[in-house]
Formats: sequence, structure tokens, C-alpha cells
Amino acid sequence: MSLTTHTTTSGFILPSIHSAPPFFTQQPNPTTQSIATDQWIHLIQAYARHNRLFVLRVEDAEISGNDWDEVLRNERINRKLLPMHLTQILAKMVFSNVATYDPPKQTRSVLLYWRLPDEWAEVLHSWAVSTAQLNTILTFYDITDPPVKSELSGIPVSLLRKAINILVKSGRAQLIGVADGEGVRLFSGGR
Amino acid sequence: MHRRGVGLAAFDRQEQSNRSFAQLSTVLSQTQVDQLHSQLNQFRTALAGFASTHRESIKHDPSFRHAFQQMCSSIGVDPLAGPRKGGWWAEMLGLGDWQYELGVQIVDVCVSTRERNGGLIEMSELVRLVGKLRGISGGIITEDDVVRSIKTLEPLGAGYQVVEIGGRKMVRSVVKELDDDQSAVLAIAQQEGGRIAEDILVQRRGWAQERARAALENMVYRDGLCWLDDQDEQYGRAYWVPSAMQWDL
Repeated sequence: MSLTTHTTTSGFILPSIHSAPPFFTQQPNPTTQSIATDQWIHLIQAYARHNRLFVLRVEDAEISGNDWDEVLRNERINRKLLPMHLTQILAKMVFSNVATYDPPKQTRSVLLYWRLPDEWAEVLHSWAVSTAQLNTILTFYDITDPPVKSELSGIPVSLLRKAINILVKSGRAQLIGVADGEGVRLFSGGR
Repeated sequence: MHRRGVGLAAFDRQEQSNRSFAQLSTVLSQTQVDQLHSQLNQFRTALAGFASTHRESIKHDPSFRHAFQQMCSSIGVDPLAGPRKGGWWAEMLGLGDWQYELGVQIVDVCVSTRERNGGLIEMSELVRLVGKLRGISGGIITEDDVVRSIKTLEPLGAGYQVVEIGGRKMVRSVVKELDDDQSAVLAIAQQEGGRIAEDILVQRRGWAQERARAALENMVYRDGLCWLDDQDEQYGRAYWVPSAMQWDL
């Protein structure tokens, strides 16, 4: 059989390994398994970045009809990633710090770090600079759902909070309680 | 009457004649050396002419290259011998560089696919991937070129080897011996496009179930030459030999 890449309806190019039937099975050989897992992680991150997906749940492998169908299933060869297998992949992702369990203390849902919190902190700061919103109080909603779409549109609050905390530590942000929840003020301040 | 010199004068005379003989011999060998030099120079110019007119065709035309290499081997010349071994062939033709470059590309493909095929790749697949890596400008390469390049890799001791399994050439890039059962499995997997299962071995080879299972499990667990697929519609549990699958990088 010949394995080819496949372009999904969302324009994402699935690698050729995604059309290899054994890719969807947990490999008993640890070396092979770690190669396969690395491929999965790579694929998941690339897909998340392409479609701006922030969350992956074990549930996504259990029930179809979600954002992850194109990756976790391959209808063309009638294979799918089993929930057990996904659980292991998530564990390795958390272990190698490309994801984190969110909420913490469970293992069925992760927040994906296709950008690390540090990187998000920089994105947030340069967004504030370029839109001239330094020194003004922004609510979280102002950031996650700005009138003009930005890199940060749709970012989960838990990830945004991590990014802000990093800015707070370097003296470039201040968390403020506002009427309807929380807000943040960003400064140009050097480190 | 035979005359033998006696006394001191005889010494001088003998020395004198020795000297003139020595002189004569140097003159003679000098002319021989000169002659050789001029012959060599002629040969060199001829070769340079050949190299400059045919270098491009050697690099780009696989059949011409093949003919050239056969000619070289029939006259006992190694076109790859570097300057240090006394060969300026390599320098002039640039064939050495060409061959080593191909060697590097072969290593590149073998190493980058090793993770998924366990260090065993089918020759035609290797040729295809190397060709892809070289792009159109690199010219066409043949199996013959690849085999030759693999030979040039030998001194590196990396264990690159061409093996024949089930009538097909495969390139092995890890030092690993294949036993008979494994070769049989690989041969059948190739016919099946990479897929293999216990039952296929039992039916085709007349193996006992246990033997088939042992062979396959060895390939999965011990050698990493097979990947397991437990969602197979027909057999439930099938094995895939990545080296027998055609990959689109």
C-alpha cells in the first residue's frame, strides 16, 4: 500500500503516517511506541496550532463529532485512536511540558501549549503595545474577545492567567479586581 | 694478455670507470623518467579532455555513468580513488564528490526513515526517496549508483548493506542479522503491501500457529521491524512492516 498525505477540509495536511493502520494501535515495543507517541504529539500540536484549538479531552476519542475528528479518526482506513491510547499520549505531553492538565488533578483533559505560557505572555504584551492599550485596565474579556480579532482571541482564561502571571513577575503587568471579575493593567516596563 | 693493474694507479683507474658507469646509468634512467613523464602528461591531458567533455554526462546520464564505471573496472582503475591514492581521476571528474554526496543522501534517507522501518528499507523505495531529496536538477540515479555508493560507505563501518529478501533488494542500515523466518515474513509482507498476519503465514507457508506468532512477536518486540495493528477488520491482529510500505515523506 502507499501512504500519502491527506489534506483535510480545514486545509490541514495530515502526514502520511496518519494513513498507516498501525499508527492507531498502542505499540507493545517501547522504542516503537515512543516514536509513534512523538509523531502523535507532533501531529496534535500542529493541528491545534492550525485550527487554534486549546483543549484536548480523552472524551474526544470516545465520542465523534468534535473538533478533533479529523485527527483522532481516519475514516479512509477505518481506524481510530482509542481513549486508552490517547490518555497515554496526553500523559507524555504533560510530562514533556507541551500541555498541562486543566483543570489540575485529573487526567482526562489538557490545555495545549502550542505556544508556551512565556510565549503567550510576549504575545499579550506586544498586542497591548501595538493596540495602544498600555496602562489602561483591561478585563479578561477585553483580551479574549477583542473587537478586532487578535492572536489572543479565544484564549482560555486559565492560559491567559498563566501568561499574565509571568508578566506580573517581570513587572510588566498588574492584576486588578474590577466590578465584573478581574482585570489587568499592562506596563511598558523593562524587566 | 689479460692486464691487471697493480699499485695505486690501478685504484684510480677503477674508480674512474665506476664513476663513468654511474654517470651513464643516471643519464639513462633520467631519459626513461622523462619519457614516462611526458607519457603521463599526455594521458593526463587526454583524461582532462575526457573529463571536461563528459563530466556532465557522467553525472546526469545513468546509462553513460554505468558504461564509464564498467570501463574503469575493466582497466583496473578506481575512478573514486582520491588524490592521496594517486588518482586524480576523482579530482578531474568530480565523480568522487558526486558519489560521496549520493552516499550522504542515502544515509540521510536511511537514518530519517529508520525510526519507522527499523533500519530496513526496500531498494526501490530508497532510490525513490533519494531521487526526491536530490530534486530534478540532481539528475536521475539508479539502483546501480546506490549500490556503489553504499560500497563507498563501507569504511565508515556503519553497517550499511544490501540484502536480498524474497527476491527483492533491501538496504539494511543497522547491524542486525535476519533469520530465515524473518526473511520469509518480510518477503510475504512485501507481496501484501506491508501487511502480515499469523493466519497468512499459516496458510501460505504451512507454519504452525506458534511458529508464526513467535516470528511476528520477535519482529515486533525484539527488532522493532514490525508495527502492531489491533484494529484489523479481517484478522483482528495484523502486523505491518514499514519497510515494505511506500511512504510519501
